[in-house]
Amino acid sequence: MAALKSLWVSAAANEAKESGHDMEKEGDLMQGTLDMLVLKALARGAKHGYGVAEWIHESSNDVLHVEEGALYPALHRLELKGLLAAEWGTSENNRRAKYYSLTAAGRKKLAEEAEYWRRMSGAIARVMQTA
Amino acid sequence: MNYWMRLKALLKRKQLDLDLEDELAFHLAMREAKNRERGMAGQQARYAARRRFGNVTRIKEICRESWSFTSLETTWRDLRYGARALAKNPGFTAVAVLATALGIGVNTGIFSLLNGVALKLLPVPRAEQIVSIDQIFHGKVRRNVHGEPGLFSYAEYKNYRENNHTFSGLLAYAPFLEATLGGESPKQVTGAETSCNFFEVLGERPALGRTFVDSDCRAPSASPVVVLSDDLWRNRFGADPSIVGKTVSLNRAKFVVIGVAARAFGGPDPWPSAFWAPVTMQKALEPDRDFLEEDNTGWLALLGRMRPGVSLEEVRADLGVIAGQIDQEHLGRTTTLAIHRATFLGRPEERTVVFKIGGVVLAAVGLVLLIACANVANLLLARASSRQKEIAIRLSIGGSRWRIVRQLLTESLLIAFLGGTLGSLIAFWSLEGIARSVLAHLPLDAPQLVWDVSPDLHVWGYLLALTAITGIVFGLAPALHATRQDLSTAVKGDGGAVAGKARGGTLRSTLVGVQVAICMVLLIAAGLLMRGLYLAQTVDPGFEMKGITQARFDLPSQGYSEEKAKAFQREMVARVAALPGVDEVEQARVTPLSHQFVGTGLTVGGETAARAFEYNVVSPGFFAVLGMPLVRGRTFTEEEARADAPVLVVTEFTARRLWPGQDAIGKTLREGEKKDYQVVGVLRDSEASHLGHTDGLFFYLPAGPKEQDRLQLLVHSKSSDATTAKGIRETMRALDPDLIVGVSKLADNLEAWRIPSRIVAALSGVLGALALLLASIGVHAVVSYGVSQRTREIGIRMALGADGREVMRLVLRQALRPVVVGSVFGIIGCAAVSQVLSDVLYGIGSHDPIAFVGVPLLLLGVAFLASYIPARRAVRVDPVVALRYE
Repeated sequence: MAALKSLWVSAAANEAKESGHDMEKEGDLMQGTLDMLVLKALARGAKHGYGVAEWIHESSNDVLHVEEGALYPALHRLELKGLLAAEWGTSENNRRAKYYSLTAAGRKKLAEEAEYWRRMSGAIARVMQTA
Repeated sequence: MNYWMRLKALLKRKQLDLDLEDELAFHLAMREAKNRERGMAGQQARYAARRRFGNVTRIKEICRESWSFTSLETTWRDLRYGARALAKNPGFTAVAVLATALGIGVNTGIFSLLNGVALKLLPVPRAEQIVSIDQIFHGKVRRNVHGEPGLFSYAEYKNYRENNHTFSGLLAYAPFLEATLGGESPKQVTGAETSCNFFEVLGERPALGRTFVDSDCRAPSASPVVVLSDDLWRNRFGADPSIVGKTVSLNRAKFVVIGVAARAFGGPDPWPSAFWAPVTMQKALEPDRDFLEEDNTGWLALLGRMRPGVSLEEVRADLGVIAGQIDQEHLGRTTTLAIHRATFLGRPEERTVVFKIGGVVLAAVGLVLLIACANVANLLLARASSRQKEIAIRLSIGGSRWRIVRQLLTESLLIAFLGGTLGSLIAFWSLEGIARSVLAHLPLDAPQLVWDVSPDLHVWGYLLALTAITGIVFGLAPALHATRQDLSTAVKGDGGAVAGKARGGTLRSTLVGVQVAICMVLLIAAGLLMRGLYLAQTVDPGFEMKGITQARFDLPSQGYSEEKAKAFQREMVARVAALPGVDEVEQARVTPLSHQFVGTGLTVGGETAARAFEYNVVSPGFFAVLGMPLVRGRTFTEEEARADAPVLVVTEFTARRLWPGQDAIGKTLREGEKKDYQVVGVLRDSEASHLGHTDGLFFYLPAGPKEQDRLQLLVHSKSSDATTAKGIRETMRALDPDLIVGVSKLADNLEAWRIPSRIVAALSGVLGALALLLASIGVHAVVSYGVSQRTREIGIRMALGADGREVMRLVLRQALRPVVVGSVFGIIGCAAVSQVLSDVLYGIGSHDPIAFVGVPLLLLGVAFLASYIPARRAVRVDPVVALRYE
């Protein structure tokens, strides 16, 4: 399951890089997935950007290699959409860091995305398993 | 939320950048530390962190973009690009901005004048709550009118005041009260009779003393008190600090001063009041009438202050119910109420006049703006063709057409805003002066007016909208045109000679044609107005004015009874007749062309409904002195006048209208149910009542003993006008030193009729000149451009042996074709416009040959000159230079 995810994300990312024309369309797909992962990462409480990257990395057993820079446009976009709230705080090593947390709208969005993902991946898995 | 956050981000741009910097730096530092933990060396750990992160600058850019308004940024880029393009071409920019400034400037100026005179709210506190109320009657209406037909009677006012649920206060005042202020030298002043809540409802506090309280209005004639205006207090009473409690005389009645109004307060009309007295003192101020008791006489204007939170609609509904109840007492009559936020000149009759004249003038300045637009559009077109290559390249590398149109439009809007700013600056700066000069040209006996022309929100809104529309109007066509091109030719850059001629030529010619047509309309209209003015000053009104002096005075308001008036008139006529040089003294209710009109309804024999007539009451010799010949029948005899005989003289027009093909003599006209008048004479038509018009039903009655208190004097004399006037004044002073008498030449009455025409003629002359200037610049620019575009072609023609005159003819023919076509359309358009104009202004002959032939010739001459100059340049082209051109 995790392997499938990784394949899809990186395939989409590669395709987007190659063909300039369809960039927006494919990018959206990748963005959508990345957004979902970010929302999921924040489900258990506020994190800064580095924390989100590390969480995705660790909880996918090092399979999902999100380009770390790409995380920030996603975070800002979600903040602007009102799905995330941001606050400046102090990190574990006493540095100024921007902490993101889910808003009510963000929580709702996460539930929707998770449900959608569950159905899609289940369907794809079933298709792939039929001989 | 989204926009709000972006807006905040826009305002705190610096902070946002710093935050972003911090956020990313934090991430990199954390990753670097982690890498080091895993055993990487210092530099290596940092590079690895960077690699893993990606392009930091690019990421920053993406983040920043998501916080900004993309369209705003694009607009900003377009603006900067546009500004650079304009700065690079200062000659073009200057002409375009100046043309726009002229167009927008005159429009804003005229609108400010109109705004100041009729759109601004009243100058009182919280004026947005004040509404004006006027009645409009339909159906069977029998009503006495004093002033204007929409006014209310006292009973009606009390009804509305007591039964409405939407006003915190409803006031009434009589707006047209003239009174003689007694003293060493009596003075005629304008004042108002007001309800006692007048100052309270308007929210005005006195500068001195008090204003009215309810008890002042409790009973008729009980409380002779008056509030003076600050102006009157200063100029007439030397700003006497102890004025309160002193007594003044108004129309020979004594009034106690109770207060002085605040300095800037002049009441709710543009003619400031000098004093205010309680409405219940009406009879003291106008002894001949008792309006308080007349329930069907309109004489009071109503203003209400709406309760907070009440809408105009609610007021209309609320008062409509009361109007319906009043209607029940008048069978067959329905009343609608006109309820608006109160402004100066807000009564329906005043509105009609103001908006009619305002509309014509705004249309005229709108046309000037249109010429300016056509001009700038033409300049833009010419410029677009020189930028053809640039645009073609942008299009061919995939720039969207909309994107480029938007860029070009931004540039036009930039021009429009520069022009609008410059134009409005000039307009606001010169406006005070213009308003003053207009006021100074009003007739001397017209009331002093206040006219605040300073710009307010209306004006700024108008200016902004006008500027934006202007920019789009002159920018859109050229922008669309420039982006619709054949890329291959344009990029290769050899479109100049051949393609350039075809492309844009039609649009340019059309624009020139439009300019010429509009210019023609304006110039012919100006020509008609000036001719009208000239005719008004020379034309014969159909009666004699020379050597006649008029003396105007008002006996009833000064407390003259009928008997006393009769004695006064008899004595005065005798004494004036004895003055040296005087050979005729006649009396009339109104003097000819004095802007006083008396009307009544009479029923023609055999008809049921009454017709509206104007009339005058005159002494038997009146017609002879004024040289008004009879066509049939006779005038009144002295006996008929003395006996108040029921006879009358009608005008020729009236006779023709009422009894076509019949003899009018002996016919009867009936007044009400009771009195029959017999026609004894028919008078040749003259413009005795309205200058320029002889149509309208009109009759004359003999001046009998009952009419003596209202008659004025016409004196014919062989001595100089000044001597006669002095003699009359002295005679009057001897008879009654407190009576104010207006003595002037009868011919002076013409002046008041000419003033509107004169103001409009001056204005239209200026506009016409402006239009001519703009149009000739336009023609010149287009022909110059055409010549410069065709330099090569002309060079070839010359090299092949064409002679200069032929080339000249070619250029001129092409240049003048749109001019001629435009002229024709302009003349046709003007024939239509002149009809409208002749309705509004006196003295416009709609088919004046001099205006219709002279003006086109002038315009064609100017257009010829404007094209001749560049055409001559074409002929001087050296073939060798021309062929190497470009």
